[in-house]
Amino acid sequence: MAGVYISYPFCAQKCTYCNFASGVFPAALEGEYFEALLAEIKSTEWPWTPETVYLGGGTPSQMDPGKLARLLEAIPGGKWREATVEAAPGGITAELAGAWARAGINRVSLGVQSFAQAELRGTGRKHTAGIVASEVEILRGSGISNISVDLISGLPRQTEESWNDSLDWVRRLDVPHVSIYMLEVDEDSRLGLEILDGGTKYGAGRVPREEDIAGFYEKAVDMLAEHGLARYEISNFARAGYESVHNLKYWRLEPYLGFGADAHSFCGGKRWQNAESPADYVVRMREAGAAVVERTVASMEEEYFFLGLRQMEGVEAGPERIAPYRKDVERLVEMGLVEYDERRLRLTRRGVLLSNDVFEVFIHTCPG
Amino acid sequence: MDPAFIRNFSIIAHIDHGKSTLADRLLEYTGALSQREMMAQVLDTMDLERERGITIKAHAVRLDYKADDGVDYQLNLIDTPGHVDFTYEVSRSLQACEGALLVVDASQGVEAQTLANTYLAIHHNLELIPVINKIDLPSAEPERIKEQVEQIIGLDASEAVLASAKNGIGIHEILEAVVAKVPAPKGDPNAPLRALIFDSWFDPYRGVIILARIIDGSIRKGQKIRLWATDSVHEVDGVGYQSPKPIPCDTLSAGEVGFLFANIKTVSDAQIGDTILDAGPGAAEPLPGFEEMKPMVFAGLYPVESHEHGLLRDALEKLRLNDSAFNFEPESSVALGFGFRAGFLGLLHLEIVQERLEREFQIDLITTAPGVRYRVTLGNGNVIEVDSPTKWPDPSEIVKIEEPIIDATVITREEHLGEILKLLEEKRGDQKKFEHVGGDRVMLGYELPLNEIVLDFYDRLKSASRGYASLDYHLAGYRTSSMVKLDVLVAGEPVDALSIIVHREFAQNRGKELIHRLRKLIPRQMFEVALQAAIGSKIIARENISAIRKNVIAKCYGGDISRKRKLLEKQKEGKRRMKRVGRVDIPQEAFLAVLKVSQSSSED
Repeated sequence: MAGVYISYPFCAQKCTYCNFASGVFPAALEGEYFEALLAEIKSTEWPWTPETVYLGGGTPSQMDPGKLARLLEAIPGGKWREATVEAAPGGITAELAGAWARAGINRVSLGVQSFAQAELRGTGRKHTAGIVASEVEILRGSGISNISVDLISGLPRQTEESWNDSLDWVRRLDVPHVSIYMLEVDEDSRLGLEILDGGTKYGAGRVPREEDIAGFYEKAVDMLAEHGLARYEISNFARAGYESVHNLKYWRLEPYLGFGADAHSFCGGKRWQNAESPADYVVRMREAGAAVVERTVASMEEEYFFLGLRQMEGVEAGPERIAPYRKDVERLVEMGLVEYDERRLRLTRRGVLLSNDVFEVFIHTCPG
Repeated sequence: MDPAFIRNFSIIAHIDHGKSTLADRLLEYTGALSQREMMAQVLDTMDLERERGITIKAHAVRLDYKADDGVDYQLNLIDTPGHVDFTYEVSRSLQACEGALLVVDASQGVEAQTLANTYLAIHHNLELIPVINKIDLPSAEPERIKEQVEQIIGLDASEAVLASAKNGIGIHEILEAVVAKVPAPKGDPNAPLRALIFDSWFDPYRGVIILARIIDGSIRKGQKIRLWATDSVHEVDGVGYQSPKPIPCDTLSAGEVGFLFANIKTVSDAQIGDTILDAGPGAAEPLPGFEEMKPMVFAGLYPVESHEHGLLRDALEKLRLNDSAFNFEPESSVALGFGFRAGFLGLLHLEIVQERLEREFQIDLITTAPGVRYRVTLGNGNVIEVDSPTKWPDPSEIVKIEEPIIDATVITREEHLGEILKLLEEKRGDQKKFEHVGGDRVMLGYELPLNEIVLDFYDRLKSASRGYASLDYHLAGYRTSSMVKLDVLVAGEPVDALSIIVHREFAQNRGKELIHRLRKLIPRQMFEVALQAAIGSKIIARENISAIRKNVIAKCYGGDISRKRKLLEKQKEGKRRMKRVGRVDIPQEAFLAVLKVSQSSSED
C-alpha cells in the first residue's frame, strides 16, 4: 500500500538543533509555494490510491487550515487510513483542530522535543509543558486521539533529572505514540556546527556526554515499555495498533510520492527528489512544471537490510539471502549486535545503539 | 666536435635558490627553446619534481652558444639532483663536468646542501663560478653573500655574477663566464673508449637509456660496448643528445655528453657511476669512483587491500626498472598481511617511491615507520644485519648491537642556535664542530645516529629554525648502542607493524608518547580497547580507548533514504581504508604515528 508525503518547510523560527531543509522564509514565498505545491499534486498521474498522507515540515500546523484542506482535497482517497500533520505546540486551538479533522486529518505528531524549560529555552521552541498538555486535550476534544510526541535526547542542558521529567510528562499525557531522537551532530544545524567547532553558542558546551545521551535513550526505552509503548523502530514507540502506518512504509520499501521542496519519492524501484530550497522549488514548478533534481535507481538489496533492520521485528532473511554477508553476520552475532535464527535477522538492544555499524555490512561500495 | 670548444658544467644550488629557473633561462637565451615552448622549469619533467621544486633525475642539455669571441661553443648543462638522499648521483654528475655554477640566493646565503655539493665539486677539481641570484629582491645583500662565499667556501667571489634568473638579469654574463672559465674537456678522441654513466632510465620502446659523458674515444651506432660493473656486452642501437628534445646523431666523442641505448633490459645493468668500455680487446681501465648504491633507510610497504599485493609487487618491479637505488623483498606482517620490506637512499627517496606508487599505480599503501639497518652480534658469534623490527633477535641471543652513524652538517642563524643544539642533544648527537661562518651564520658538525634522523628530525629542525636551518649528512660508520625493540599491543594483541627499535634510554618516554598518540588516532570501537607499549614482556605504558556508545541515524526525514545511504557509505569507506587487526580497526596514520613521537614535539 502506498503513501503521500507533503513537505511544508516553513517555520516561525529555525531551531538550533534542526538539520532539515526547513526554516524561516519570506512571507510572499509561502503563498507562491502553496500554489506550486497544489499544482504539483494536481498534475500527478496517480499509480495507486494512497493509504496514508503525511504533512511534514517545517511546521505545517501553521498553514492556513483552508489551504491545508485544499491540498488534501487534491489527493485521491479521501478517507485515509492515516493522515498525519506535524505540529509545533503553541498554536493549536479547538478551531484549528476541528478544521484539521474535517479535512481528513486523524493523527497529529507534536514536535515537543522537551518538557523542560531549561532545555527549551534557547533552542527556538516557544512552548511550555503546560501548553503541550492543554493542546493534547484540545486535539482529543476534536476527535484526534492518535497523537505522537517527539523528544530529543541530548539537548543542551539536559540532565538525568530533566530527562526523567520529560518522560514523566509523556507518561502522564498517555499518548499512544512517541518518537525519541538522539541529537544528531552535523554541519547542517547551527548547534551541530557549533559543537563541531568546539564553541559554546546555543549551549553547545552543555550538551550531555555521548554515554549519557545513549543512557537517556535507553531509559526511555524501558520506561515506555513499562507504560505499554513498545519500540517498533529505532526511534519509534507505540501502543499496539498505533504504529505509524505511513512511516513504516519507509522501512518496508512500500511506495510513496513526495510533494514540495526537498520531498522524496519512491515508486517502481526508483527514487527521486525535488529541489531542496522552497524558492528553487517554486521557480522550477513555475518554469518547468516539475521540480525533480535527482533520480536514482533504488539499491533494493541494500535498502532491504539497512531500512528493514530499523524495525525491531527485523527482516526475513533465510540462509540464501544471508549467504553473501554470512561472515559479517556471524561477527555481528558474536559481538552481540544482531540475532539470527536462519529465518529472521534483527538488531539486539545493543545493536540498536550501534546500528550504523550493522547496516554498513549491507552497503556495497565499489573498491578503488 | 673539437673538445676545445666544448664546456661541460652543472649548477649547484640549494632548493629554492633558483636552479631550475636559471636552467630554463639558459635554454631560452641560447635558443634551445623558444619562449613559446617554455613551460616553467622544463628540466624537472616529472610531476613530482615540479610540485616539490626538486630535481630527482639528472638531465643533460646541449646548448649551442656563439660567444662574444665569435666562436660557436657546445655547452652541456648537466642538471643534478639536489638532495642529500642523492649525494652519490650528484657526485657522478659532477664527475662528468669541468665546471659548475654555484648559485647562492642573495638573501638566504650559503646553505648546508650547497656546501656539501660544493665540496663534492671541489673534490672533483671543478672550476666554480659563483652566481648570486635573486639580486632584484628588496632583501638582497649581494656584498654580504659574496663575503660569506669567500669565508665559508674559500672561493674568490669578486667576479661573482649578479643575476636574477627570474627576470633574465645576468644570463649573458653567466654564459660568457662558462666559456671563459670552465676548462675545455681533456680526453683523447682516438684512445680506447671510456665513458661515464651518470644517469639511466627505462624507456618502454628502447630499453634503458643511458646518459653518459665520453671521457676518451667515441661511441657510434652499431658499436659493441661493455659495461664494466656487470661485465655485460651490448650493441649500441642509437646515440644522440638532448637539446632539450632528444636529437639523434652519428657519434659522441671525447668531451661530449649525450645518450645512448643498446637494448639493455633494466637500469640495474647500467648503474650510475659505471664505465662504458670497448667490448673488444685493448679496452681501457674503468673510471674511478664507482660504488653500488646502498639503501640506508628501510620501511615496510603494504597494500591497504590485501588483494592488491600482486599489483604492488608489479608496481615495485616497474619502478625498480627506473630506480636501481631502492630494493625490496617480500615481508609479511601479522597485522598488515603480505607486503614488502623496501630499502631507500633516504627519507625523500622513500616518500617519492611511496607517492609514485599511490599516484602512478593507484595503490593505497600503508607504510610502516622507517628504520635503519643494525649490525647485531649474536651469542654464537654470528653477525647479522637487521633492517626490520620483525626480524629483531631475542634479546637473550644478542651480544652487541651497532647502529649506523652519520656526520651531519647544519647551517643555521645564530638566533635559532639554542633550539637546534637542544634538538641535536636530544637526538643523541655528539658535537664535532662549531664555527661562525660569516654574518649571523653558524655551522655545526655533529655525529648522529641515523636512526634519529629517520624519525622526525627534518620536521623538528625546520620548526626549531623556522625553516632556516639546512642539513647535510653522510654515513660515517657504526657505533655500539644499547637498542631495544618496543612493541605495541592493541587489545592485548601485539601489532608487529607498530614495533620500533629505540635506544634503551628513550624507550620509556617513546612508549608513553606513542601510546598517547595512538589513542588519538585509533577511532573508538564498539568495545573498550587497551593500548600498551612493551619491552619484551614488561609493559611500560598503557592507555584505554573507551567504547563507542552510539552510532545511530535517528531520524528519517520524509523518506530521505539517499542521505542515510551516503552516511553509511562514507562510514564504510572510512573503515575500508583501515586495517583490521584482531577486532580493532586501525587507520593508516596510526602506523606512522611512531614517526612523530619525541619529547618536545607534542603539539597536542
